[in-house]
Amino acid sequence: MIVPFEHVLILAGLLFALGLVCVLVWRMNLIMLLIGIEVMLNAAMLAFVGGAARWGMADGQVFSLIIMALTSAEVSLALAMVVYLHRRKKTVDADEFRELQG
Amino acid sequence: MKLYLALILLLPLLGGTLNALVGRKLPRRLCEALACAAVWGAFVCAALAFAAYEAPETVLLATWLADFDFTAPIALYLDPLSLVMTVMITFVCGLIHLYAVGYMAGEGSPARFFALLNLFVFAMLVLILAENLPLLYLGWEGVGFCSYALIGFWYSDPKNATAGRKAFITTRIGDTAFGIGIVWCFQLFQTESISQINQMGFLMPVGVVTALGLLFLAGAMGKSAQVPLMVWLPDAMAGPTPVSALIHAATMVTAGVYLMARMSPLFSAAPVVMAAVAITGAVTAFYGATCALVQRDFKRVLAYSTISQIGYMMLGVGAGAVTAATFHLLVHAFFKALLFLGAGCVIAALHHEQDLFRMGGLRRKMPVTFWAFMAGAACLAGLPPTGGFFSKDAILAAVWAKGGALYGGLFGLGLMAALLTSFYTFRMVYLVFGGEGATEVHRNPRIMDLMLLPLAILGLIGGFIHLPAFLADGWLGRFLATTLTEGAAHLSHGEEMAVEAIAALVALTGLAIAHYRYGGIRRAARIEAAAAEPRGITAFLLNGWYADHLYRALFIRPYEAIASFLWRRVDEGVIDVSLDRLADGIGTAGQGLGRWSCGRVSVYLLSFAAGLALVLGWLAWGRI
Repeated sequence: MIVPFEHVLILAGLLFALGLVCVLVWRMNLIMLLIGIEVMLNAAMLAFVGGAARWGMADGQVFSLIIMALTSAEVSLALAMVVYLHRRKKTVDADEFRELQG
Repeated sequence: MKLYLALILLLPLLGGTLNALVGRKLPRRLCEALACAAVWGAFVCAALAFAAYEAPETVLLATWLADFDFTAPIALYLDPLSLVMTVMITFVCGLIHLYAVGYMAGEGSPARFFALLNLFVFAMLVLILAENLPLLYLGWEGVGFCSYALIGFWYSDPKNATAGRKAFITTRIGDTAFGIGIVWCFQLFQTESISQINQMGFLMPVGVVTALGLLFLAGAMGKSAQVPLMVWLPDAMAGPTPVSALIHAATMVTAGVYLMARMSPLFSAAPVVMAAVAITGAVTAFYGATCALVQRDFKRVLAYSTISQIGYMMLGVGAGAVTAATFHLLVHAFFKALLFLGAGCVIAALHHEQDLFRMGGLRRKMPVTFWAFMAGAACLAGLPPTGGFFSKDAILAAVWAKGGALYGGLFGLGLMAALLTSFYTFRMVYLVFGGEGATEVHRNPRIMDLMLLPLAILGLIGGFIHLPAFLADGWLGRFLATTLTEGAAHLSHGEEMAVEAIAALVALTGLAIAHYRYGGIRRAARIEAAAAEPRGITAFLLNGWYADHLYRALFIRPYEAIASFLWRRVDEGVIDVSLDRLADGIGTAGQGLGRWSCGRVSVYLLSFAAGLALVLGWLAWGRI
């Protein structure tokens, strides 16, 4: 393996942190929120693939394929929901949707 | 024999059960007939058993407690002692049942009353006939329960219910000691059979037998209302009069004497136990007699006199004269039942007036009751040649024969008590029957007077079953000799005659003093004097030496104080409050956490990230 495993993990961690910051900071925007989640998922996939290469086992790669399938399904559903929510309140600010309050 | 014994027990049990289960649906006459028939049937069986009796016999009826080494079957033991007691109980209880039919004619709930009476008789018979200690304890507790329920029979008046509870709790104190003794007996002897324990007494060190004897004595003190557990008996007069007669005459309060007599082969090896029994008896005899001197309530006089007479029986057992004690027990059963039933007649005739000082002049108005009551009074006072005279003096003679400073002192105490007994007995007679007084006398049912007559005859001639040795050979002594070890020393005829003469003189002196103070016109002066508030020694004796007050101060007050402290401070102050605080805290925390779920997605996400950071941090820290 050319790139050391530590570097892969550091990159994945950085990506994850960026995604998390995106989720937490651009909270008024549902679309930015979804993008942040995608970035975090990509970070996780990177860690999986790196791990698979490190130990020479296919499990991590299989898992990242599953995540890809899952995220594509999720994004199609989530974008449909964003469109629907925008129709209801004329905004994509996440804090405006608090009907789920206990 | 097995059939007779089984029937003796089962008939009263059957009568009681039937009355308890279906008695309320039956007509009153049938209830009464059922109860009386059960007891008289038991008496017939007892008489047949008496006729067929040859030698002591153990009859196994059924198995009961059995576990590993421990066995306590329902086994009955018939020996002369239990045989004479059984005959006496069934006979006296039969008479009391018939009397109760007349006495309770106007009262409600006859089924409950007669069911309890029958159960009472059943429990007494179990107690008498039991072959092992657990079965005896069953009967022992049975009479305790029945007396509790019957003393508080008129429970709608709180005073009566309290008297019942007091009787129950006070006797329970003694029963606890007795229960410990029973368990210890098994640990020591590996058996609960009374006859076997009695034979194995010599195997144990004297100290152990002494401790065991003191435990049994404590049980006997509670049941027999001996000093210091005597406070319940005067209050037990709250029950209907036939119940009082049943408690006092048959084997409720005398159960303690019976127990000590039954176990006397075991305890006669321990002089400390015998001395303790004798001292308890003599002190109680004196205590009861002094308290009876000044009572105003008719039935309380009789109650204190019972305490005193049972003291004599205990004194007899303590002096080793078990035969004399049993003799007194039998004769006392007859004349005390007679006195109670007579008192019941008087009380019923005067519309439930119980104050001695408001009675009078009943000599001519109720002649049958008067003469029967006189016979009972003569027995109680120990006038020769009644049954009470011979039985009491057999005990006194045995104590005198024992000799020594201790028994000499107890003999003196017994004589003092005899003098007082004679005095208070005739004080009662003069107050109730002498002079003029009650004008309006209610007519009692005939059956009540009729029941007095056999008892009066038995009380008067009862002495002839065990005449002193210088007159004739005592039948009871010979009959009981096979079963009881007589520890009493024997007096020469001359000495015995001297003791009898002294006792007779003492009884007559008491009668003379009573006549001097209450006879003729002086009676009216006494009644006037009694109207004043009692003071000094009178108040002291009237309140039973303030024993109730003493126990209140010594035990009940501290107990109440501790209970109230534990209730207010510990239960409410610590446990309840801490639980309330805990619940409040959890509620507040829940409300605080609930505010978190505000519905803002950003807050959720932030918390999620914080949680993740926390988990990561914890994992990382754990790794280090």
